[in-house]
This record gives sequence, structure tokens and C-alpha cells, in this order.
Amino acid sequence: MLLREAVERIVILEDSDDDFDTMCEAVRHLDFAVEICRVTDGDACVAFLARNTVDLPSLVIMDLNAPCTGGREALRVIKLDPALRRIPVVIMTTSTNPRDVDLCYLYGANAYHTKSIRYPDHLRSIESILRYWLSEVICPSRTVPVT
Amino acid sequence: MSAPELDTGSTPWEQGPYSIKRHGLSLANCDAEPSQTPGCIQSHGVLLVLRCADLVVVQASENSATLLGLAPDQVLGAPISQVVGVSGESRLRNLIAGDAAQANPLYAFTTEPRGDAPPLDVTVHTIDGVAIVEFEPITRASVAPKDGYELVKKSVGRLRGATTLQHFCTIVAEEFRELTSFDRVLVYKFHQDGHGEIVAESRRDGLTSWLGLHYPAADIPAPARAIFRQLWIRPTPDVDGGLAELVPLVNPDSGLPLTMTYCALRGLSIMHTEYLRNMGVTAGVTMSLRHGDELWGLIAGHSYSGPAHLPLPVRAACEFLAQIVSLQHQAVEAQERLAYRLKLEVTHQQLISQAAQGGGLSAMTESAPTLLDAIDATGAAMYANGRWLRVGATPENDDLDRLAQWVATRTEFESPDRPIYATDRLTEAYPAGESLMAVASGVLALPLSRSRRSLMLWFRAETSQSIRWAGNPQDKPTVPGPHGHRLTPRGSFELFLESVSGRSLPWQAVELDMALRFRTLVMELVLSRAELLTDLNTELVQSNDELDAFAYVASHDLKEPLRGIYKYAHQLLNDASLQGPEHHRKLERLMRLTLRMDSLLDSLLHFSRVGRMALTMEMVDLDSVLAEAIEIVDARRGERPNAIDVPRRLPSATCDRIRVREIFTNLLSNALKYNDKPVCLIEVGFVDAHAPSPGYPAGTSGQTAYFVRDNGIGIEARHIDQVFNMFKRLHTRDDYGGGTGAGLTIVKRLVQRHGGEIWIDSIPGQGTTFWFTLEQAAGR
Repeated sequence: MLLREAVERIVILEDSDDDFDTMCEAVRHLDFAVEICRVTDGDACVAFLARNTVDLPSLVIMDLNAPCTGGREALRVIKLDPALRRIPVVIMTTSTNPRDVDLCYLYGANAYHTKSIRYPDHLRSIESILRYWLSEVICPSRTVPVT
Repeated sequence: MSAPELDTGSTPWEQGPYSIKRHGLSLANCDAEPSQTPGCIQSHGVLLVLRCADLVVVQASENSATLLGLAPDQVLGAPISQVVGVSGESRLRNLIAGDAAQANPLYAFTTEPRGDAPPLDVTVHTIDGVAIVEFEPITRASVAPKDGYELVKKSVGRLRGATTLQHFCTIVAEEFRELTSFDRVLVYKFHQDGHGEIVAESRRDGLTSWLGLHYPAADIPAPARAIFRQLWIRPTPDVDGGLAELVPLVNPDSGLPLTMTYCALRGLSIMHTEYLRNMGVTAGVTMSLRHGDELWGLIAGHSYSGPAHLPLPVRAACEFLAQIVSLQHQAVEAQERLAYRLKLEVTHQQLISQAAQGGGLSAMTESAPTLLDAIDATGAAMYANGRWLRVGATPENDDLDRLAQWVATRTEFESPDRPIYATDRLTEAYPAGESLMAVASGVLALPLSRSRRSLMLWFRAETSQSIRWAGNPQDKPTVPGPHGHRLTPRGSFELFLESVSGRSLPWQAVELDMALRFRTLVMELVLSRAELLTDLNTELVQSNDELDAFAYVASHDLKEPLRGIYKYAHQLLNDASLQGPEHHRKLERLMRLTLRMDSLLDSLLHFSRVGRMALTMEMVDLDSVLAEAIEIVDARRGERPNAIDVPRRLPSATCDRIRVREIFTNLLSNALKYNDKPVCLIEVGFVDAHAPSPGYPAGTSGQTAYFVRDNGIGIEARHIDQVFNMFKRLHTRDDYGGGTGAGLTIVKRLVQRHGGEIWIDSIPGQGTTFWFTLEQAAGR
């Protein structure tokens, strides 16, 4: 149980297998255990979080351009939901469009990163995100407080 | 007739009563001639003036003895019964008592022949309290005295059948010649400037035609015209018949000269008889052709072989016919004006539909009907879409430019209802037009747009160039009269040339009206074409938007697999089982290609974003924007010795700060990049609005133009159009530092998003100047 408690759980919204693979690669490089839950579209992401309000993930990393409901809409819903809005959501996307950047922060994203074409840079970027959010900052408690 | 002693001073008769015989005339004062009180009669008849109250003779023509057998001193002071008998006197008394005789000669009776003397026709009319009795011998006994109606019945019938003015006038000439038996009858029309033209003619076989000849206004002086506004007929039975003066010259009761306006025997001015004589005319008749009180023209009969006396009934018939002709003529002219109007209207519709059906405005000068058919003119020009369209004889483009500029300043162009400028003497208002006189003495100009850049012009050539002048020497006697050649149509023509210099035939009211209507049609056409263009532009904007969205999505979706390719290449490169220099090289090459592909996609993304993002327009200090741009390109500046010179501060302009910085950044880095000189020199500056600049494209002038000039490699003229094309690079990838080739495409897009234009001056090997504007050109 203790061990179970120690494992950080993250949700990754990523429809590209190749990029998800890079994500997993980065997780493997970490010196601590991380449980990865993958969803491939925005609806699935919101549904997954809503099902697990008693044990929220430490972090959500999402791509914006997922099929069907994209990351933008998922981000908006999560940040409007009182039960979910405290989960840190980090955007990891191809888009460098300033409009996307502004929109995501407006919706409440906690950080915005772009995927580099250069594999080593991309990998390093994910590692630093995970390290920062999972070991350096103090995340909110994993259960929804009863108000 | 012997030539009288002519007094050529100013107006000597001001000192006393005037007599043609005593005072004659000079050429300078003939317009001042008191032709209504000439003091003389034509000597083939005799004139007596009676006091209305008692019918006593108070004045008599000096030749009274020739026809009446009584010298003036025998009749003066005597009652008229002593001359015409008691029955004659009673007849005259009756006529004088009625109003009908007031200023209107009435036939009284015909006297019995007296010895050798022929029978005399006696007419009488009253004026200013006197009765004027005129005696004329009947010399053409052969002419059967029919009543006036019988004489003109056929003529009236023919005239009613005429449909055009030309046909009508020809019938008039023919009918009057038949009526009078003269050798030639002319219908003479006055133009607005007073000069005359022979518009119809009927002549005896063997005479040369005078049809179409024009005569100077001076040939029929103002006093003569004034008389013709009051008088229908003016016979000259014998040009050489001489003059008989009144005795006494003034009325002894009133001391006034006799007003002879309505006298058939009124003495002819020496000018007139000499003019006729110089044309070989021995006898003549002149009738007026009037529109209301306006003198439209004259009908003139000429005889070339001795005296020709028109019997009273024929004269009456002529007078009657002249009045009918005048009335009928107005109707025919109105009809013809309507026909002209209709013809113009049809032509205008043809012109418009021709242009609307794809020909465009240029069709109006290229294929019939042209603008020249739209208005009767010798040349026409239209300025539209930045160029002159010309047809017929017009000034050259440079002259047209200047003329258009001048015309646009006319207040006539400001009129909301009738924006039209018309002149038949351009040089009077526009001295610079003197060199254009030959083709453009007459100008009709209408603006086609509110901005007044576009306009339509019609031109009329100088009158002297466009018509045929009288003065064929074959028609003239070889020996001119005492006033020399001046009193011939040919002689006065020289004077006339001066008076019509720089003049054209005037523009008619109907032409101005029709030109204004045509202008409305053209403007509607231009407008509907503009609407069509707007529709096309809207569609284009839509498809551009779709293209941008497509480019955006496509670039995103392309980037993902590209990242995967790079990743696996990278992993393969690090795979221990795939070592070897060949593998290594190929994998590295693969990764470089994906990087290049990625930067192309970035450019595409950026470009599509430039097209879609809203601009933040504000007043921006371009000088500080340029400073920022220079800072951004600083990294590249380090590579080679260079200098960026900004000779004067850039002004402020309304634009999107970030985008304009991008324009400068791109142009500066371009200038730094494409340079092979030891020291790269760049100048950034601007040309003020309205300052002329070489290579300034049409339609751009009027705005401030900015430039970035370098001393770089330059661009060959044939490549200039291509530099703005997406991904078009003129050099291999690695020369001049590479690049995706999207920079200038983006710059052009940014400039266009601001409504401006970008263009290039370049000399290969010496350098390039990029020009751009940041605002919409006026009038577009």
C-alpha cells in the first residue's frame, strides 16, 4: 500500500503512438516510479478524470490536436469542473501559434510546451516537465476534499 | 453707276441727317450704319411721305418726276390728290385710317400708264405719324398676277412632305427659285457664332455650286440682321440702279429722318450693293427665316443678268411663303433634333451594351460604334483604369494629362446635377491649350468618378479646319469695287480667320444633355463592373481563407510524422548494431532532411497565420519599430562588416507594430544575406507622399513609401516577379545562408494586409531597393 501510495500517477492525452512512445521513454529515464494512464482524445480524458475523483492523478499532460474532442475542449472542461480544476494540466503540443498559447493559459493551463522536431530535445523537455511537476513542486492532494 | 465719294471717317452723319449718298460708309463703321434711316431709296421707284392728318406731301424722293411727272418742288406741300387723283386719295385715306397699315405696307392700287411711263403699283404704310406711299413700275408684265395663295399652294404642299431639315431647305430653295425666276436661290443658315453657311441651293444650269460654303459673320452686319428680324422680304431689283435722296432729308414737321424699315424701296447700303456686285449679282431678293424673334437664316435670290423686278403679287407670295417656311422650319428642326437625340440614345445604348458584354470601356474606342458616334465630334478620349483610351483626332497623352488636370479644377465639375464643362474656345480659358487648337478648340468634358481621376472628353477641331470656305475665285468678278477685295467673301475671309481662330463649332444643348445622360450610363456600367469585381474578390477572400486553414492544419498534421521519422533515425543512429560510416552518413542526412522539412512547414504555418490573424492597427512610431528590427537582425550582422544607415527619422504611421517590425526584419536580414560586397551597406528611408519617385507604380502615388536599399547582389529583371513567390529561391540552398524562401512572401502578405504595395528596383551586381507602402491608395 505504501509503495502504491508513492507511485505518481499521470494522465497523458496523446493520439500519436510515436509521441507517446517518446513520453514513455522519458518516464523510464526518471529515477522514480510513475504510473501512466493514456487516453487518446479529449472526451476520454475528461471521462477518465471524472471516474477517478477519489484518486486524482498528479499531472495531466495533453496534446491539443487530438481527434474528435481535442485537448482545448478537454482543458476547458477540466478547468471549469470544481472537482478537477486543481489538477495541474501541462500542454505539450506541436502548435507554436500564439493564439493557442494564449487560449490555453486563458482556460487555465499550468504550462505550455512545444514538441521539438529534434528527438533528444523533445525527450529532454518531457523529462524536465515530469521532474519539475512530480518531484519539485508540491501538488494538490489526490482526493477531492469534502467541503 | 459712278463710284460715290466715300467718306471714310468715323460717323460724320452724327453732325446732321444721314444719307447713304452723301456719307457713304467706311469698313470700320458699317456696323454703326443707320440702315433704317438711310435717307435714300432705290431709284427705280418713287416715294412720297404724307402727313397722316391731312395727307399733304411733306417729303418726296428727288426722282419723283421720272415716274410721276412731278418734281419734288411740285408736290411738296400739295395734297396727295394732286398726284393720285381723288379716287386714289380716298383709297389711301381708307387704308391709312385702319390699323393694318401700321408698319405693314399694303397694296393700294395700280395707276394707269401715263404716256411712256409704265403702270405703277402703289403701296402705303404708316409709321411715326406719317404715311409712306411707294410707287413701283410694273416691268415684268409677263408674270400673270395671281393671288398669293395660288402662287404658294404647291410649295406649301411640298414643304409639308419634308422629313429632314436638309430636305426641307432644298425644297425651300427650289420653290423660291420657281416663284422668283432668279438664277440662284440659297438657304443661308446662321451658326451660333454668327457666321453663315449655305445649307441648300437651287441654281440655273451652268452655275457653280455654292452649297456648303461658309461666310464670315461680318458679311451680314448687325444692322442688316436687325432689319431682317422685322422684315420678311427685301428686294434689290437692280444692284446698279442707283439711289434717290429724299427732299427734304428730314421731316419738316418733326425734324427727324424717315424710318424706312418697312419700305420696299429702302436705299441699300453701299456695302451691300458692292458686296453683291463683287459676287456678280445684278439683282436680288433676301427673305428672312426666323424662329420666333430669332433670325435663323436667310433665303437669298440672285440674278446675274441685269435688273429683276419682282411684281407686287410675287413679293407678297414670297413674304407669305417666308413666313410659312419659318413656321414649318421650326417644326422640322424640332423633329430633326428629336431624331438626333434618338440616334444618340440608340448609339449610347449600343456603346454601353458592347462594353458590358465583355468589351469593357476600351471597346468604346476600339470597335464601332465608338465614342465619336456618341456625340458629333472630331475626337474623343476617356481616362479609365489608369490609361487613356482615344479615338479620332485628339491631343497626345501628355497633353491630355495636363488638360484633364486643369479641367478637374473647373467649378463646373463640382455641380451635382450637371458636372459638365463645354467650351468652343478652349484657349481663352486654358492658354496652355494653344498648341492643341487644331484638334481641340472645342472641348466637352465630364467626370466619371467622384475622385475626378476618370473622365470623358470630346474634341472639336478649330472651325477653320473643319469647314469649306467661300471664296472660290471663279465665282468672283475680276474687277472688285472701290473697297477692293475686302467686300468679297474671299476678302473678308482673311478677317474671319482671325475671328474664328481657336474656335470650334459650338456644342448644342441637346449634345450637352445627351453627354450627361451617357455619363450616367457609363458610371452605372463602371459601378456594375466594380460590383462584379467585389463579388469575385469576396469569393477570392473566401477561398484564400480556406487555403490558409488548409495550410495550417496540413502543416500541423505533417509535423507529427516528421517528428517520428527524426526520432527513429536518431535512435537508429545510436543503435550499436548499425554502426558503420555509410549508415551514419545516411541517417544523418535523413535527419537533416526532416529538419529542413520542418522549417518549411514552419514557414508555411507562419505564412498562413499572417493571412488569418487580425491586425492591431494603431499609430506606431516606425523609427522605434525599425530600431527593434535592427536589434533582432543584430545576430546576423556580426557575420560580416556592415552598416545600416537611417538618414532621417521614419515618421509615424497607422499599422500593426509587430507585423511591420517583421517586414523590416525580413527585409534587413535579406539585405544582409544576399550581399557579396566587402562591406554590406544598407539604407532605410522613406519618400514623402506626393513626392515623385522613379518606379513609383501607377495608383500608388499619394502615400508615403518606405524603402530598404542595399548594395548587394541585385536581382535580374526577369526574376523580380518571382522573388515574392512562396519557397521560390533564386540561389541554391547553401549559398547566402540558405533560408526557406518564404520571407519575402510573408513580407508581401504583410504589406498587402495593410492595404499597401511592395515593389522592387534592382540593378544586378549593384544592389536592390525594396519599396513598400502601408496604406490603401486613394480612390481605390
